[in-house]
Amino acid sequence: MSEHGWRTWPVIGYLARKNRGYYLLGYLILLVYGLWTILPIYWMLVTSVKSDAEMYTAGANLLPVTFTLSHYYSTFFQSAFPRQLLNSFIVSTTTTLMAVVFGAMAGYALTRLRFLGRTVIARLLVYSYLAPGSILFIPIFALMVMYGLWNTLHGLSLAYLTFTVPFCTWMLMGYFKSIPLELEEAALVDGASRWTVLWRIVLPLSAPALVVVAVFSFTNSWNEFLLALVLVQKKEVMTATVGLTFFQVADLFFWGAMMAASTVMALPPLLLYIIGQRWVISGWTLGAVKS
Amino acid sequence: MARALRAGAVAVPRRSLFGRDWQLGFLLTAPVMAVLVGLIAYPFISAVLFSLQDIKVGGQGRFIGLENYRTLLFGAERARFFNSVWVSIIYTGGALLGKFVLGLTCALILNSAIKARNFWRGLLFLPWTIPGVVSAYAWKWIYDDMRGVLNVQLANLGLIQQPILWLSDINIAMWALLAAVIWQGTPFWIMTFLAGLQSIPQELYEAAQIDGASTAQSFLYITLPSLRNVIIVTFMLSSIWTANSVQYVYILTQGGPANATETFPMLALIWGIRSYNIGMGATVPLLFFPIFAIFIYFLSKRLLQEGEA
Repeated sequence: MSEHGWRTWPVIGYLARKNRGYYLLGYLILLVYGLWTILPIYWMLVTSVKSDAEMYTAGANLLPVTFTLSHYYSTFFQSAFPRQLLNSFIVSTTTTLMAVVFGAMAGYALTRLRFLGRTVIARLLVYSYLAPGSILFIPIFALMVMYGLWNTLHGLSLAYLTFTVPFCTWMLMGYFKSIPLELEEAALVDGASRWTVLWRIVLPLSAPALVVVAVFSFTNSWNEFLLALVLVQKKEVMTATVGLTFFQVADLFFWGAMMAASTVMALPPLLLYIIGQRWVISGWTLGAVKS
Repeated sequence: MARALRAGAVAVPRRSLFGRDWQLGFLLTAPVMAVLVGLIAYPFISAVLFSLQDIKVGGQGRFIGLENYRTLLFGAERARFFNSVWVSIIYTGGALLGKFVLGLTCALILNSAIKARNFWRGLLFLPWTIPGVVSAYAWKWIYDDMRGVLNVQLANLGLIQQPILWLSDINIAMWALLAAVIWQGTPFWIMTFLAGLQSIPQELYEAAQIDGASTAQSFLYITLPSLRNVIIVTFMLSSIWTANSVQYVYILTQGGPANATETFPMLALIWGIRSYNIGMGATVPLLFFPIFAIFIYFLSKRLLQEGEA
């Protein structure tokens, strides 16, 4: 069959209708781009359930012939990875809780109260949010060594506040601004204190924003690599991002186990994304980039 | 009575140098201030001080003025430092260009009346949710010389006789690295462009159509100018984040082969952490700081303006 002759007429007719060509091209691009998006993820999943025998002899079958959970078994029962996942969870949760609480407090003060230094703090927050991470990791490493916080989860959690706090505060400030003032004014007129207003009116109204900010902050901490690499060297204290590098011993990679561990590690952010997709996408417009 | 209450509760201007609500204000911002001062400003100032010293981890520093800067710019490490400048430019520039083209294309398609839009959007955003380390290793496995799916499949198709050394060939490593970086970074661009596209009033396009404008003209004279702001902001943000991230380089190539992918954060990591030379490690990123300071200045102006509105 060739692309000449009568066979092509329906296609040409289809394309001839207004703008169809653009749509067809659009679908084609989406298809190709979608494939390139999904392939590395697909390959990770396939590798994680493939037997070593197949991986090392039969070459790279796109469809696996064998199925095994042995890589997951060795990841969970024969490596330090479960402990490292727990460490990741501890650090991400700690820093997120602190960042959201601090961020909500400061965000409220910066949008509702009048006091000296308010604009300066807001400015510093933006600078810190944008600050390049490569400048801070070396001094933070040196200072953590100096203060005996190197190789501890406390030190790592503290270090993570450098990016979670500016981020949470800034996002929450944007949200607090969108809550109408009238409710709070009415409560204040009725004699409520600022604390009551914050606890009874502002925080309940901001619950969705608090969740979005917490999810972002948690995943950012969960995925963080550079500080985790530099601040912890002990295998039992390490977080999962750095623990993953230990599925490689010298030049030898245990790809099956590594891809199993990778899959496990990618799950929490993925689940949060799937559950919160709607909010995550609207969350973007809540934060930094608006036209 | 009511008037007095109201006045007592909200409107009495307490004559204080620190402002009306200074007590509560200071209290509520204290933790954030502690983080800003103790965990960001203090390390930043320390970095500047370290860069002026000959200092190793755990050791006492010795002030040597601008000696570290001189070594990098004119002295013994000149070649390696300027190599990292060049590599960082290619790495960041290539990544931005790729993400811009792919991001804009996909955003335009997703913004048009395609079928199953939510499905496509969910699919294209996937890399954004995957931890960077995970995708870096997934790519490293794909690029594996002997057993990687890329070489094996290319050989099966008869396209190559010898395995391509994706990550250890000096002429290929950077491009292989960039493919992975672009893979992960594009969804953010699609998102910002989509948000930008959705804020363009539909009436503009309808008016243009009535006036007989072609699709290409609409794109050139409506879409692009309306996206100007978004494009600028995304470019600046992404250049800060891309240039300063180190995980892809660290995992895929470790800066090799022969320093061909040694971006400046990788160089800082090698000197500052691996060789325990805090002084030199702190100096490298500081030399790049002025460029980012300009971006930060413009970005913060935009963000703060929006905050006031």
